[in-house]
Amino acid sequence: MGLVNTMNIQILLNQHAHGHLVGSRMAAAPLREELEIALAQQGAEVVLDFSGITATQSFVDELVGVLVLRHGPDVLGRIIFKGCSDDVRAIIEFVAADRCDQFIKNHAH
Amino acid sequence: MEVDASRLVFADPFGMALLAATFHKVREQNGFVRVHHLNAKLSGYLQRMDVFEGVELVGCAPMQGQRHDRADALMEVTRLEQQSDIGNAAYRLTTALVGQMPVMNRDEQPDEMSGYTESDRLAEPIQYALNELLENALTHARRAGYINACVWLSSQYYPSNGLIRVGVVDNGCGFLATLRGHTALHQETHLAAILAALQPRVSCNRDLGLRSDSVNQGVGLTTTRRIAERAGGRLYIASGDAIHSDSASSHLANGAYWQGVAIALECKRQKLPEVRFRDLLPPVEPQLAVRLRFQ
Repeated sequence: MGLVNTMNIQILLNQHAHGHLVGSRMAAAPLREELEIALAQQGAEVVLDFSGITATQSFVDELVGVLVLRHGPDVLGRIIFKGCSDDVRAIIEFVAADRCDQFIKNHAH
Repeated sequence: MEVDASRLVFADPFGMALLAATFHKVREQNGFVRVHHLNAKLSGYLQRMDVFEGVELVGCAPMQGQRHDRADALMEVTRLEQQSDIGNAAYRLTTALVGQMPVMNRDEQPDEMSGYTESDRLAEPIQYALNELLENALTHARRAGYINACVWLSSQYYPSNGLIRVGVVDNGCGFLATLRGHTALHQETHLAAILAALQPRVSCNRDLGLRSDSVNQGVGLTTTRRIAERAGGRLYIASGDAIHSDSASSHLANGAYWQGVAIALECKRQKLPEVRFRDLLPPVEPQLAVRLRFQ
């Protein structure tokens, strides 16, 4: 068995901020599509760089929560959250826990 | 529609947004609006704030002087139609609010660690709340078939008491139509629907299977309410025939009715930098915590 090459793709979220905030679901949706395309490549990992910004729960949910609902909790293992403030980190943890729980419940029956 | 404004002495952002939305509705139905006898001071102010788009003013003083660009000091009543406008509109409104605060140093250097200035810390909770309110207003209405629904927003800082007031008014389907059939809605009334919408994780489309276009966690409104509370303020919410604030719930007077949702956010400016978003989210059960990779 050969080693799988791990490819890191970085998405800089501060390029999509108004001031220091990324806020709307509409802004997150195309980034999620970019994320899904990147993750479709075998072995790829994606770095979401939140340096210098805050994100609303809606933005994080559209970017990451919807991904969990579509692909399951394992997808989170291939995403690296970089440069998160305590607030952003808490929002990501909330969204991830909530949507993983929902995914598991939806697929339990 | 003939409006006798002779007894009108004050309009806050909530009132201005409601007026603009009401006038728009009348014009949309091929009606006309004439406002009579508005006092000179209020007339100039409301014209400056763009409340009277397409409205005929009768016996009211015209706006004096030249209109200046004051984007750093106020934001006129603004109508949004597109979801793609949300982020920019929320940013413009908060920038205008911060610009209204005379003690702010607009040339302040950002903190080296966070990259934030004091103005940024002041503006961010309002910008966050506005994003969530506008998101709710523009997405729920369209899902319910109100494809032409739009939102009016306005804001003002009152230096005399240190209060910030923001009005966000939509002409969409309202909470009751959005939540009809939801298990959290125990009575089919507008007041019950407002109270249900204030509970965390209550949303018409929390489950992907319910409506497939998008999802919603149902925590945007509750987080917004907590932002207002942490900043020493509150939300007032009107929808259908009901109005709710955290100190009182009631039906609108004299059979008044609002088709859509109208929200007034009030908070103390000096408390805004104390808001920490991480303290506002619903708790996550420890057993649900997920291992994530932070760098």
